[in-house]
Amino acid sequence: MDLSQALATFLDESRDLLAQMEEILLRAETSDLAPEDMHALFRCAHTIKGSAGLFGLDVVVRFTHGVENVLDRLRNGEIVFTDALINLLLESQDHIARLVHAVAASDALPEDEGGPLLERLQAFNNDFDGRAGDMVKACETERVEVDVASGIAIGAEHWHLSLRFGPDVLRNGMDPLAFINYLRSLGDIVHVETITDAVPELFAGDPEACHLGFEIALRSAAEKAEIEAVFEFVQDAATITIVPPCARIDAFIALIDALGEDPRRLGEILVACGSVTERELFQALADQHLATDPAPIGELLIERAAVQPRVVEAALGKQKSAEERRGGEGKSVKVPADRLDALIDQVGELVIAGAATQLHAQRTTNPDLQEVASNLLRLVEDVRDTALRLRMTPIGEVFNRFPRVVRDVSRELGKEIELVISGAEAELDKSMVERIGDPLMHLVRNAIDHGIEGPAQRLDASKPARGTLNLNAYHESGSIVIEVADDGKGLDAERIFAKAVERGLVAPDAQLSTAEIHRLILEPGFSTASEVTSLSGRGVGMDVVKSNVEALRGTLDISSEPGRGTTMRLCLPLTLAIIDGFQVGVSGSTFILPLDTVVECIELPSDAQGGGYLRLRDKVLPFVDLREMFGLEDEPCPARQNVVVVRFAGRQAGIAVDELLGECQTVIKPLGRLFERVAGIAGSTILGTGEVALILDVPQLVQRAITNEGRERSTAAQSSASIA
Amino acid sequence: MSKTVLIVDDSASLRQVVSLSLKGAGYDVIEAADGRDALGKLGGQKVHLIISDVNMPNMDGITFVREVKKNPSYRFTPVIMLTTEATEEKKRLGQEAGARAWVVKPFQPQQMLAAVSKLVM
Repeated sequence: MDLSQALATFLDESRDLLAQMEEILLRAETSDLAPEDMHALFRCAHTIKGSAGLFGLDVVVRFTHGVENVLDRLRNGEIVFTDALINLLLESQDHIARLVHAVAASDALPEDEGGPLLERLQAFNNDFDGRAGDMVKACETERVEVDVASGIAIGAEHWHLSLRFGPDVLRNGMDPLAFINYLRSLGDIVHVETITDAVPELFAGDPEACHLGFEIALRSAAEKAEIEAVFEFVQDAATITIVPPCARIDAFIALIDALGEDPRRLGEILVACGSVTERELFQALADQHLATDPAPIGELLIERAAVQPRVVEAALGKQKSAEERRGGEGKSVKVPADRLDALIDQVGELVIAGAATQLHAQRTTNPDLQEVASNLLRLVEDVRDTALRLRMTPIGEVFNRFPRVVRDVSRELGKEIELVISGAEAELDKSMVERIGDPLMHLVRNAIDHGIEGPAQRLDASKPARGTLNLNAYHESGSIVIEVADDGKGLDAERIFAKAVERGLVAPDAQLSTAEIHRLILEPGFSTASEVTSLSGRGVGMDVVKSNVEALRGTLDISSEPGRGTTMRLCLPLTLAIIDGFQVGVSGSTFILPLDTVVECIELPSDAQGGGYLRLRDKVLPFVDLREMFGLEDEPCPARQNVVVVRFAGRQAGIAVDELLGECQTVIKPLGRLFERVAGIAGSTILGTGEVALILDVPQLVQRAITNEGRERSTAAQSSASIA
Repeated sequence: MSKTVLIVDDSASLRQVVSLSLKGAGYDVIEAADGRDALGKLGGQKVHLIISDVNMPNMDGITFVREVKKNPSYRFTPVIMLTTEATEEKKRLGQEAGARAWVVKPFQPQQMLAAVSKLVM
């Protein structure tokens, strides 16, 4: 049986459940949990334990079982959450995660480490053990051997089974024949005598009721408990007496004699030698416990052998616990990522083919064809949107790991920090979600470590002792913006500048704006921390964050105010595959702008030709001339040029082009290595005509236009210092 | 003719393992993620045995068994509930609903096979 695929599912499932556990535990720190949360928490551990058992991961089962017990007592209200308990449970959750991780990496399971944790968990289970102990103490030890020896009927050389199935077994879906059939797996059935005395006359009785009894002789080396287990599902509805072969009884007596000096209780002795099963002992104990005048346990056990076993579980008066329900859980299907990628690729080809169809249809004068073609195109667009949405996951998946990080790191540093998360439902491409985690983690750690001050320092600055860290995500013009904002001390521009000079990143006499100085922290080899702490001083600088973000076609923006805090703004495209584009023509070539970034189109005023800036409704709008930027002079400049106003990350700029060609579907194809570093170009696409068009990199162009404006275009070469 | 077993559990991995081991023993298996899903997948077709978890989203096992037992086609269909150790109360509820057999989690695939073969010949 190949379990590897099931194991992969188990690993996935466990990680989800562990994340859910963590989230609930962290919530328990600040507020009281609703009963559903308690149940959910229990269920997380329970499900992991259950599945782990299937894979024979005994270490995981054993440890999770300890956690589960505590969670069970919690949800039953037997114990309550304390800080210590939450800490312990979080540590336990970590340990389970480690174990699961070890399974995934097929390492040896780190068993020893779980021991101390289990012991601490056990402390919360003590009452439970106490109860069990009392139960055992209730046993009477007198007259062991005699009772047992004389009480049990002696059979022949075979086990003798006397079965009287109750009238309801058939109605319960139990087939007596199936059990007897299964009995054969334990040994040979030497003889079956069917007892039909109870069968009523034809038509007189209930045809659905079972009236049969069986007397069975079984030759088997099995233990009594094993034989009894065959009938576990009917033990309540049937009368089953199992008489051992006589040789066995002799063996029992010998065994009990041998155990004579043992201080163990009778019940345990009987179970130990196999003459009584645990179930029989439990029932007898429960009866004895309830009786006003308790009989010695031996007598009770002998009585058991003759009297129909009663259902005693109910009498134990277990506290009624309401059945938990958890609705509203969205149904989902797990699909391998490569299949999704293949789908997206195919949809991309479909989009291109659709555009070609539309183009050719428009060239004909056949109205039917044109209508069908435009219908087709609309459907293709729908398919494209749906296919892309398949890859969308809420950013919350990434955010979820931060409450724990913030909690742990701030405790370690002795800072008080509140994490406020908003916009967790904003969605972005799954591949982005996976790759944005590390850069975000770095920004968050940085904010806690360098940004937010200690409580004393904050009080001195007349700020509340508890710092706030905001994690926020929202959609803006085809991008997702993720903000990491702290209310700490802000960036120290002077110190950054001094450091940059010291590291040789800038000339000592360079004239830089504050924003440009802030950007210096993104340069390779820059570290602002005067002393390296264990948290952020790990040799990974902000430059790695920056390059990670750039690899995703995103931008990183810094705004900081001394004493008020720092905001790091990550701006990422929503998808890496297909976009709505806006086609423009320059000197016979076609370029594409992502439609989401386009604000409006205007005519280029004649006095503004040649690039720089123009006046748009009494505001200055910097712009770049593509003709000039890309050196496209094949065709003469038309009499009228247009400007497309684009917006990115809250800033606007113009892009001067020759003609406006309208909207189109654009499948983004990556550029080859050779063209990767061409400024202003983000990718390429294939038009309906089969021509190749370049996709403009709007963030870069906006940055360039603004830089040009600020420097009067004199230092345009410096644009390499900008991050796009 | 091979016998059909319905397994209802919200853990996909558990379903996969049970399903694999039952199929290996020659049973046909239908999988469902919760009670509601299971009712939809049953739709009157013949099954010889139902294995159901208790604790599931959307529709729990007890409600599911109660519902399924209302259908005359499944009156005599045996039901195995998957349970925890601390659920005497649920056991009673399950019995009222019509489930008589229990397998305690965590279990080994062989244990499940044994339980199934006690009920289905």
